[in-house]
Amino acid sequence: MRRILGWLLLALGLAWAQGDKLKACFIYVGPIGDAGWTYAHDVGRKKAEAALPWLETRYVESVPEAQALPVIDRFVKEGCQVIFATSFGYMEAVLEGAKKYPNVIFAHATGIKRAPNVATYMADFYQVYYLNGLAAGALSRTGKVGYVAAFPIPEVKRHINAFTLGVRAVNPKAQVLVRWINAWYDPAKAREATEALLAQGADVFTFTEDTPTVIQTAAKKGAYSFGHYTPMLKFAPDHVVSGQIVHWDVIYIDFLKKVKEGVYTPKNLEKVDYFWLLQHKAVEMGADYGVPINPKHVPLLKKAQMTVGGKKVGVYDRIMALLKDMQSPKPTFDPFTGPIQDRKGVLRIPAGKKATLEELLTMEWAAPGVVGDWPGEPR
Amino acid sequence: MRWELDPSPSPRKVLLTYALFLGLALLGLGLLFLLYGVPPLKAYALLLSPLTDTLGLAEVMRRTIPLLLIGAGLALAFRIGFFNIGAEGQLLMGAVGAAYVALFLPPGLWSLPLMFLFGGSLGALWAGLAAWLRARFGVNEILTTLMQNYLVYYLVVYLVAGPWKGQMVFGFLYTDRFPPEAQLPRLGDTLVHWPTLVLGMVAAMGLQVLLFRTPLGFEWRVLGENPEAARYLGLKGGRLILLAALLSGFLAGLAGVGEVAGIHLRLLEPAQISLGYGFTAILAAWLARGRPLGVLLTAPLLGLILAGGDALKLALSMPFRVVDVAAGLLLLGFIGAEALSRRRLVWRR
Amino acid sequence: MEEALLRAVLFGTPLLLAGLGALLSERGGVVNLGVEGMMALSALVAFAVGLQVHPALGVLAGMGVGSLLGLFLGVFAVSLRANQFVAGLALAALGLGASGLLGKRYEGTPLPNPLPEGMLAMLALILALGLHLLLSRTRFGLYLRSVGENPKAADLFGVSVDGVRYLALALGGGMIGLAGAYLSLAYRPSWTDGMTAGLGWVAIALVILAAWQPLRAIFGAYLFGLLFFLQFRLQGSVPIPSEAFAAMPYLLVILVLALSGRARAPKALGQPFDRGR
Repeated sequence: MRRILGWLLLALGLAWAQGDKLKACFIYVGPIGDAGWTYAHDVGRKKAEAALPWLETRYVESVPEAQALPVIDRFVKEGCQVIFATSFGYMEAVLEGAKKYPNVIFAHATGIKRAPNVATYMADFYQVYYLNGLAAGALSRTGKVGYVAAFPIPEVKRHINAFTLGVRAVNPKAQVLVRWINAWYDPAKAREATEALLAQGADVFTFTEDTPTVIQTAAKKGAYSFGHYTPMLKFAPDHVVSGQIVHWDVIYIDFLKKVKEGVYTPKNLEKVDYFWLLQHKAVEMGADYGVPINPKHVPLLKKAQMTVGGKKVGVYDRIMALLKDMQSPKPTFDPFTGPIQDRKGVLRIPAGKKATLEELLTMEWAAPGVVGDWPGEPR
Repeated sequence: MRWELDPSPSPRKVLLTYALFLGLALLGLGLLFLLYGVPPLKAYALLLSPLTDTLGLAEVMRRTIPLLLIGAGLALAFRIGFFNIGAEGQLLMGAVGAAYVALFLPPGLWSLPLMFLFGGSLGALWAGLAAWLRARFGVNEILTTLMQNYLVYYLVVYLVAGPWKGQMVFGFLYTDRFPPEAQLPRLGDTLVHWPTLVLGMVAAMGLQVLLFRTPLGFEWRVLGENPEAARYLGLKGGRLILLAALLSGFLAGLAGVGEVAGIHLRLLEPAQISLGYGFTAILAAWLARGRPLGVLLTAPLLGLILAGGDALKLALSMPFRVVDVAAGLLLLGFIGAEALSRRRLVWRR
Repeated sequence: MEEALLRAVLFGTPLLLAGLGALLSERGGVVNLGVEGMMALSALVAFAVGLQVHPALGVLAGMGVGSLLGLFLGVFAVSLRANQFVAGLALAALGLGASGLLGKRYEGTPLPNPLPEGMLAMLALILALGLHLLLSRTRFGLYLRSVGENPKAADLFGVSVDGVRYLALALGGGMIGLAGAYLSLAYRPSWTDGMTAGLGWVAIALVILAAWQPLRAIFGAYLFGLLFFLQFRLQGSVPIPSEAFAAMPYLLVILVLALSGRARAPKALGQPFDRGR
């Protein structure tokens, strides 16, 4: 037994010594495309490779869930030492693969189950959505804000709720009209859903879909919008107010450095979970990199007022103050701070409490102000 | 100069035309690889690489299973002139049926047989509906089956996002995992669910016998080759077509059961359940030239093209579209060769 | 209501164009299942030219690529007399794949000066009327129909069956290319892999729904456009699951066809022409 272990360690050592490069491999769920989830992961991969001279990366795109295990087999065979699996649906394949290859390090995006050699990670937008909601509430003249949503899963629901809480904090009577398109990528559906919302009076838009279609459509009718996942300012320079931008590279670089330094080993990842937010710089609020709010819209937002704790404050100042707070190492503000009831009147987060990580990850209820079908809504 | 059918092409000519067209297809692919900066020979080797190790063979086999089941049924359906291009939807119906049995009926030894029976029946019902609409209202089945694919897509989304959503799935669009009794055994640690493979082989052989050795098969062949003659003989066209539609739908349904009970072990977002098998199987059926037994050869061939394309995309970090390009070019090669080998030029009027 | 009609036209337009393209060759007896791939590749080329030169030229480039792909299909479907269904399916895969591989560098770039949708929608309408006249009033229309109904007889009368079929594929391909150009230059003025999102398949269904009549294709395309829009317009206003609304267009298309009675396809549709038989 000990002998085998010795051989294994030797083999492992040899593999590591080879050119001294660490080989990290990425499994993507969709095509890299131009704007969405997989594109952002790929940007992160490239930035990590540029930043870490000892890193070598490989990727494979459009891997259906059922095929993740054979892909893991291949990657391991080709000498991958770290495997990033970038979709929730890979969970079982990752856990199975981790058991099969105990010396390979796995990291599973949006995952919830860990193992000695499986870590989980996520860069989440809910704070940014809340801030964008504040801006949307201030900019909407009709009091109707459109949300073109992909699939009714907790991540999307959490973002709709955070956004709606923001909208309502500025305009307590505003509505967020939600339309599900049941697709992560479908420009035609995104376009027509946006048109439907425009016809119903929505004049500010946000969305979860992997293209800038909603932005382009809204801009044609002069409606404001918020970019999603990657900078989308260039698609409508006069109408994109802000947006959510992800920096997966921050997580990838941190993780891979720790692997290289020996902090993370295939034995101690059981508790390694990144749920990284504004304070970790894993996400950014912005119409473009470094542009939190499109300068063209700053005057409007400065003029708009909202009530916070009985006092009138400018919406722009409020957004900036909260952004600064949530970017600081010890944020005091959290959008999901009670008391929060759902749209049916059930108390979901008690007064003075913040939503726990688990509550965030399993959020099924709809915030007051959300209008539209809500599959899986708790009774 | 005339261009006409060659009643009996010599084997040498057939071989030559296939070599010519496949050579052209490979040349086209090679050019593309060169454009991408990949040495063509390496790429060709990768395309065939699934044949060289057990991991690759398992991948080929896994894709063969649904292609075999669906392809055998489609070979029959096409032969008699029922253009079922809704196998993808019928497969999903099978998956729904399997999930119902697995999740809502008490588990036991009967689970798997019941899943196959129920899933297959739903698939048959779905295809039968198109055949009935054609017989009753004259609705073209190409349109019906194509539209039905979308209907069942949304049915599955509705089920996994609503009433069937699992308790243990953290809000994602899945049902709960099937109980162990409702999971198909696999070969070793591969994803090859062998009982479905056996079913597929039995189906191909059974349909072949049915088509070429029984009175029903004779009627089917007459109807397919000469509908006028069939009418003259007093054959009931509508009923014959319905029967073939039911059979091909049933087999597609079985394929769906295999995918969820053998690989996914749950019902999930429809785009993840099938990898377009319903469409690829059309090609398997055609390459088999209307002989269900031939699908035993063509399904693995297509499985190899798909698995080889995947090996390419993985080994070279190429965009996933390389699979489509490789499949499209190679298929056009086969199609062209098949057509050309059956013709000849005659130097007279 | 006004809004819904506008959407019916603007979303119906790419379907109408692609449907007319498929219809044209089908009237000549050639099934074209490659529409999705043809649209994808012409959308890419149209965008590339539109971005680097001028959108109007992009339209022409898209139509040109569509025509070339139509002729390419003709090599198999007409000259080689191969099975039209599978040749079309292979072309669909090839077109989608090639567009995805070649188009990578155009992803993520907005088109600064998109074409007005209304103008192209008008053009599509004119094309539908023109195609109707072409089929019913001109000598070429007569030849085309005869080639689609009874190629043997047409051949006896000295019509070049292969020539007419090639011409129909080229013209139809041009319209399919125009549909692709509409998507990437007007409807959603940028290009991404897979942006045709299944519209090519719906266009094939549209030909059947329209009973191979250009004027009915207008109605069919707009009907589908309307229903596609309404699924989002009505979603949430009634307590019916959103998935039911999403399925509605496809269900109603089947119903409409069932109620509108038997449509007769061109007799020689899908059959390679052989003089000798």
